[in-house]
Amino acid sequence: MRDAASFDEFYRSTSRRMLRYGYAVAGDHTEAQDLVQEAFARAWRQWGKLAAHPAPEAWLRLVVARLATDRWRRLTGWRVALSRTGPPGPVPPPSEDGVLLAAALRQLPAAQRQALALHYLFDMSVEDIAREAGVPTGTVKSWLSRGRTRLAALLPDLADEKLEANDVA
Amino acid sequence: MSRELSDLYRSLADDADGRHLAVPEVLRRRADRRARVRLAGTALAAAVLVGGVVTGTQLALSSERGPVAPPGGTPSPSPSVTEAVPTPSTAPTSVPPTGTPASSAGSAPPRTPTSIPDRAFFTPPAETTVMPPFFTERPEVLPELCGARLDDGVAQRRTRALTYHLQPRPEGYVPDGSYRHTITIHRAGRADDWMADLRQAVRDCPEQEVGSGTVSRQRLLSSGDHGDESVLFELRWPTRDDAGNAAAGETVRLVRAIRVGDVVTVLWEQGWESTSSDRSHVDDYSRRAQRAVERWLEG
Repeated sequence: MRDAASFDEFYRSTSRRMLRYGYAVAGDHTEAQDLVQEAFARAWRQWGKLAAHPAPEAWLRLVVARLATDRWRRLTGWRVALSRTGPPGPVPPPSEDGVLLAAALRQLPAAQRQALALHYLFDMSVEDIAREAGVPTGTVKSWLSRGRTRLAALLPDLADEKLEANDVA
Repeated sequence: MSRELSDLYRSLADDADGRHLAVPEVLRRRADRRARVRLAGTALAAAVLVGGVVTGTQLALSSERGPVAPPGGTPSPSPSVTEAVPTPSTAPTSVPPTGTPASSAGSAPPRTPTSIPDRAFFTPPAETTVMPPFFTERPEVLPELCGARLDDGVAQRRTRALTYHLQPRPEGYVPDGSYRHTITIHRAGRADDWMADLRQAVRDCPEQEVGSGTVSRQRLLSSGDHGDESVLFELRWPTRDDAGNAAAGETVRLVRAIRVGDVVTVLWEQGWESTSSDRSHVDDYSRRAQRAVERWLEG
């Protein structure tokens, strides 16, 4: 039996972080909204089991990441469904820095985007990211290093920094 | 570096905070309704292929936007035979000739395309269209192919997204699949190079990791008679469920690029939840896409 109240509490307490993560890995606000809501819908469908999961937020991040790297599947339905619930609320203009970073992130491989987002948005260590991604720590270090090197090339203000593979360990 | 990048991520997070999601009650209702529709769809109930990860490749527009020459050649007639092959397995037997052909004798010279109008895109059958196609600014034209970059010579590009049912369904049924459909205009004589580069990119990328422990295999397939030349390839990976656990079967995606003169139209079938690409549907949409480009270029 699924407990709606506990799901709603989980949703309210994690949706903001998840939307940030979705934006960081998808690079697009609309797509981030779609995929995060799809991920929560999947969580609700399995809430009977997921409510007892030791780390439901990590499970959700995994689903968001998978949806983000498999674009255009199963997402547009949300756009249609939510458009029927009324017009969206006012949206503040995006910041220049946020737009620049999102544009640069779109040019990174998915694994690098995800690793960087987990590190910078969730303050996760290399070991934690490796555990969540199910890969060796060396792989995560490589993703972070390559991702930041690429970002440095794409974002001139960051270009002069010396990048080290293990400086986030 | 870390501090500065942290600042940028903070700005990105602030931007995301300005966006809103549905309230949880609406989300639950929507999820439950979709689950009921899903159960009602026998075709989907039989399909157990779920998930899989293929990263869209970055195919940025070339920063160099020179004048675009008219596409050469008279478009080939559309093939009339459709093979219903759900899972393609035929290896390519030959490579189409390269070289952007000159206009054929007796044909009116095609006009020079300087932009890509809506009519360059085909109109999908209304009875199997889930929602109206919409154009997107996202840059991905092709799936990831081991990091290959295929943006040389692209002068113009437009992409739209399509969702479809394989057969007419009542409103509310989950789609059977989706496409990214892109048309690119290449600088004179470069479209055939791009096609050759695409073939080589697929050959050079027989396997790639597309997620944690998920390996996608790529291979060229026999594309058939489309346009001046065409490329068809598949991506195939072991199916995983939402949580990333191994599930039965494989997920297959098909991508076809068709060149007509200096224009290339690309159909990237991306499935929908539990589906793999249906070869006969990809062939059908390929012919429609080719005809729309030919009609556009013939003015």
